[in-house]
Amino acid sequence: MERLKPFIALLDLDLLLFMAVSAVKVGFFLGAVMGFTAFLTWVERKLSSLMQDRVGPNRASIFGFTLLGLFHPIADGIKLMMKEDFVPARASKVLFTLAPVITLVPVLAAFAVIPFGNYIEILGYRVDLVIARLPLGLLYVLAVSGFAIYGTFLAGWASKSNFALLGALRGAAQMISYEVTLGLTLVGLMMVYGTADLQQIVLAQGRLLFGVIPAWGVIYQFPAFLLFLTAAMAENKRTPFDVVEGESEIIGYFMEYSSMRFAIFMFAEFIEIILVAMLAVTLFLGGWQIPYLGEAGFLFPCGRSIAIHPYAVVLAQMAAFAGKTAFMCWALMTLRWTVPRFRFDQVMKLAWQGILPLSLLNILVTGLVLLLAGKL
Amino acid sequence: MIEIKKVNNRPLNLLERIYVWEIFKGFLVTARHFFVNLFCPGKIITIQYPEITRPLEHAAKRRTRHRLKMRANGTPKCVACFLCATACPAFCIHIEAGEFTSSQVEKYPAVFDVDLSRCVMCGMCVEACPEDAIAMDTEVIPGGVLKREDMYLTRNKLLQNMPGDPSIKGAANRLA
Ligand code: SF4
Ligand code: SF4
Repeated sequence: MERLKPFIALLDLDLLLFMAVSAVKVGFFLGAVMGFTAFLTWVERKLSSLMQDRVGPNRASIFGFTLLGLFHPIADGIKLMMKEDFVPARASKVLFTLAPVITLVPVLAAFAVIPFGNYIEILGYRVDLVIARLPLGLLYVLAVSGFAIYGTFLAGWASKSNFALLGALRGAAQMISYEVTLGLTLVGLMMVYGTADLQQIVLAQGRLLFGVIPAWGVIYQFPAFLLFLTAAMAENKRTPFDVVEGESEIIGYFMEYSSMRFAIFMFAEFIEIILVAMLAVTLFLGGWQIPYLGEAGFLFPCGRSIAIHPYAVVLAQMAAFAGKTAFMCWALMTLRWTVPRFRFDQVMKLAWQGILPLSLLNILVTGLVLLLAGKL
Repeated sequence: MIEIKKVNNRPLNLLERIYVWEIFKGFLVTARHFFVNLFCPGKIITIQYPEITRPLEHAAKRRTRHRLKMRANGTPKCVACFLCATACPAFCIHIEAGEFTSSQVEKYPAVFDVDLSRCVMCGMCVEACPEDAIAMDTEVIPGGVLKREDMYLTRNKLLQNMPGDPSIKGAANRLA
């Protein structure tokens, strides 16, 4: 006990409080994301069916209630858990087990720097509504999402199956190409806002352009928005960039996986949709900002103002963030069901001959404009 | 609804090769379908099959669930000759013959199973039958069941005369 004393002294109240608040934030935010992911699996099936003039899943029922097929994610989960957990005889066991984890963890870690609200003051203690506020948050996201490729490649490599390896090779080529461009598409944005702190970027988007238009990233950097979405969809490995999987040809890097191990890959993919949507919202669509809503209430350009309690403002902003994210998820899924799969050479050509030069051009033009406007 | 579209294979112009605008147009098409079907689900043409059926038209009426006809005395008309089982491309008819002791007819089917989960509804069995004993005119469409057994027709489920069937009256049946 005597020897522990210095350590206990180190754990002062502030640190304990900070840890407790962080734990609550992690629980709240990741819980919301996970719940939304399960919901998304249902949304995707229902959405695709409605687009194709079908009805979609509607048979899973509890006591005769189907609730529009909302029980299907539960049924899927039960089914996946009951399946045989199969490991190919020649697979390298350790890597085979590790691959799904390496796929999932970076995706979850990236959520740490995404601001889902401004801040609230509880009894004089300021709580930032972001799990970890890093000055280089944007670079952190890019760095962490770069990890995802290890999961993909290890899965293909460790299963010792030709098709899985083929999928992994395609995946490696595609993800490396698009990671380069993903970073470059965001450089222009960092130049405009002069920071890589995501919270700062969102705060900057609360300003007004010419006193009327909200200064969202999509207005400053519309081409970058399109380029970012394309690159992010490619990173996500879903149609139209799903040569990695190519259900009709090679199944892809997770071919040998079954049961919950496969479920983790699928889950990671869906969480990545949310991540891409949240990034797009944070960087380009104003994050949690609602136009004209300041910390004390609405302040319209025409001079009218409505006072709102700060807590209500924060709640409304969090709801706005959730709403924008849901909208982006919807848009991404609709795109996925609209565009046919690209051929592999087209995927590569798009990355190196399309998006890369265009994002470099975007940086150049942004720099020129900033120079001429005297902002540099 | 499905309609035929004539595709014009001209070379793509610049806007189409940039592709972004075309993707956006496609996006609007799928989004339109989504919202139309979301707000008026009645427009979806899917039929919730086992609960809702619709009357069969034309040729579809001709081949439906099998039945075995009966003679006027209630014995099966089938003589267990195995011709239908031989003709069946799906190997889904299983027959075991039984022997009559006191009758002009030698054999009868002690077991006669049709596995509807394999049957392709081709009607070859009906064509092959020399006794006109098997027919596919019940107007019941197989499928839409929750248990495998429900797709497996045994002799007792098959033996069925239709109202007004000639075999009931004894016409068209040389042995009755
Ligand atoms: S309809 Fe065709 S497949 Fe079905 S039992 Fe008769 S012969 Fe066999
Ligand atoms: S062909 Fe006709 S008579 Fe011969 S076994 Fe089949 S149903 Fe019976």
